[in-house]
Amino acid sequence: MNLLTFFVLSLMPLLSFAIESEFSGNVEGQFRQSNNNSEAKEDLFQNWNNENFYLLYGNLNGKLEKGQSRLEANWFLRYSQSDLYDPNPPYFATRIFTFPNRLVARDMFKMQYIRQDGNEQTESILNKFYYEREFENQRFMIGRMYVNYGLGEIFNPINPFNQPTALTSISQVAQGNDGLSYTYFSSDTHTLQFLLLGDKSINDYEEKIDITLWLNGEYQHSSDLQFNYVMGQDQNRYKLGGQISYQTSEALLFTQLLYQSETSGSEPSNNLWDLLLGLDQQLTTLWHVRFEGGYQKRNRYLSLNNLGERFLPTEYFAALANVYELHPLLKLSGTIVIDIKSGFTYLVAKMAYDMGNNMEAETFCFTPVAKGDETDNVAQKLVTTDVGLAIRAFF
Amino acid sequence: MFNKLLRKDFVLCVALGANVNNADEWLKYAEKEMRGERSSSEMVMTIQTPNWTRTLEIESDVEGKKQALSTIKAPAKEKGIRTLRIENNMWNYFPKLKRKVAVSSSMLLASWMGSDFTNDDILKASSMSEDYSHQFSADETVGGETYKVIENTAKSNSKVMWPKIVTYASKKDCLPRIYRYYDKEGKLRRTLTFSDIKTFDGHQIPTHWEMSPEDNKSKKTVIDYKSVKFNTRFKPDHFSQKNLSGN
Repeated sequence: MNLLTFFVLSLMPLLSFAIESEFSGNVEGQFRQSNNNSEAKEDLFQNWNNENFYLLYGNLNGKLEKGQSRLEANWFLRYSQSDLYDPNPPYFATRIFTFPNRLVARDMFKMQYIRQDGNEQTESILNKFYYEREFENQRFMIGRMYVNYGLGEIFNPINPFNQPTALTSISQVAQGNDGLSYTYFSSDTHTLQFLLLGDKSINDYEEKIDITLWLNGEYQHSSDLQFNYVMGQDQNRYKLGGQISYQTSEALLFTQLLYQSETSGSEPSNNLWDLLLGLDQQLTTLWHVRFEGGYQKRNRYLSLNNLGERFLPTEYFAALANVYELHPLLKLSGTIVIDIKSGFTYLVAKMAYDMGNNMEAETFCFTPVAKGDETDNVAQKLVTTDVGLAIRAFF
Repeated sequence: MFNKLLRKDFVLCVALGANVNNADEWLKYAEKEMRGERSSSEMVMTIQTPNWTRTLEIESDVEGKKQALSTIKAPAKEKGIRTLRIENNMWNYFPKLKRKVAVSSSMLLASWMGSDFTNDDILKASSMSEDYSHQFSADETVGGETYKVIENTAKSNSKVMWPKIVTYASKKDCLPRIYRYYDKEGKLRRTLTFSDIKTFDGHQIPTHWEMSPEDNKSKKTVIDYKSVKFNTRFKPDHFSQKNLSGN
């Protein structure tokens, strides 16, 4: 808390000058009717059949700017209500419906209020709050910031600081990260971003800070070929990886590889590695298709409580996402994810309608369409069948 | 003889400073007039159908033929989204999520922000003089006005979406009034019209643009320029990835 106070006070001089300001935001209400997976009832004590889930969330984003200095903040507020919150702890589905439920990926300052009372939960989180200063060819940031890079939209292993939300119903959200960022634009084609982040959340905010020291490089070799490389220490693992993307005249092809060592602490762990192959193509002016597939080595020591780190973990996976513009105001999207090893198949279908006046309506359906042969993947047993409606407004 | 006729046709253009002995020179004149070396403009883009309209307010900065940066100022849903073009590369930046997305060549067909303009229009807007060869055709009369017609044919080594674009230029001011875009089968796919010529900083430009797809006659996208400043001095890193993600 002292660190936070110091941080806020250090920004006060910025406020004493004439500054430019900008505020924006969005608010979204969702209704979801959910049917439980029978295996979750039998094996995982998720003893419910059909429930309604009501969600209201929004962002208020503010920016103050003076010359080369900038202060940005985003206040994320979420209220959810359902009988699924009644038991203690609440049924696991509440975490799937609010994914990403962890809105700060690397968390030192907390800056959040979460209250669960009966069948409702209220969350208030400052998930972005940073000061930024630009210099010639350099950028410096301190505070809680979004870190967003990588071409994967369904799986994006090279970026552990912001989970993809393509398989979820919550679209207007990004995860914050506490610490420092220094970006050096060495040329028009080469950028290096150094991150020094800290996390207390995995230790329940005890004194120990888990340090992240990270380098994210981006090199544009030619107009067709780009390389990204990442390396560093994060969540007590050493990680090394990268991304190669190549543009053909028809499609964008990309691949990611990330290796993670065992954790450096005394707790048991196994090393991990992820491979992603992707293709992104605009088939016609109206039809866009994306394929992402690959391998994620299974974390044998992942507890149920940490499933929120990654949505729907699978080992060998293939995902196909289609977006079709039925009308300029009406977009259909369908994403199917298959666990190649088990045969488990999950479908996400959405229909978004632009209502005008900065409003949008979306109907959605999430359902496992094949259960698969293997039953040892807990996450796959927990997914529910849902239909819902979302109304969102932007201001 | 041809040049003599041409000069007569374009006598007013010549008076305005154009040297239009051939189609290449015409194109250079029109580009110089409409774009200048550096310009900064404010425009309103309206996507229209019989049942609804959608409006975007856009700021657009251009330097030379290879650098452009546009920022959406309204509506709230899209506010702050930026598109940067440097040489043949293009990126979109979504500030609310701090996400930068490279626009790949496979995305060039895609509509830009739901309009009838594509990413390719944004990316290739200024490369007609390089990607196409140009020659005059016989004059044509459209809507009671006779235009000089220029056929722009894609060069064999150029990567462009439209193999042929036909330009109808006014004989009064040399500026284009109609672009017609043809596909590989020679079928007319869409038409861009220009009107309401105004003068900004000594440059004449059409301030009202209408793009109409041929396969949906009831839909069109209109751009109205509100202001244009020429010879704007941009910061050295204005057209850079640093600036793209910096505001």
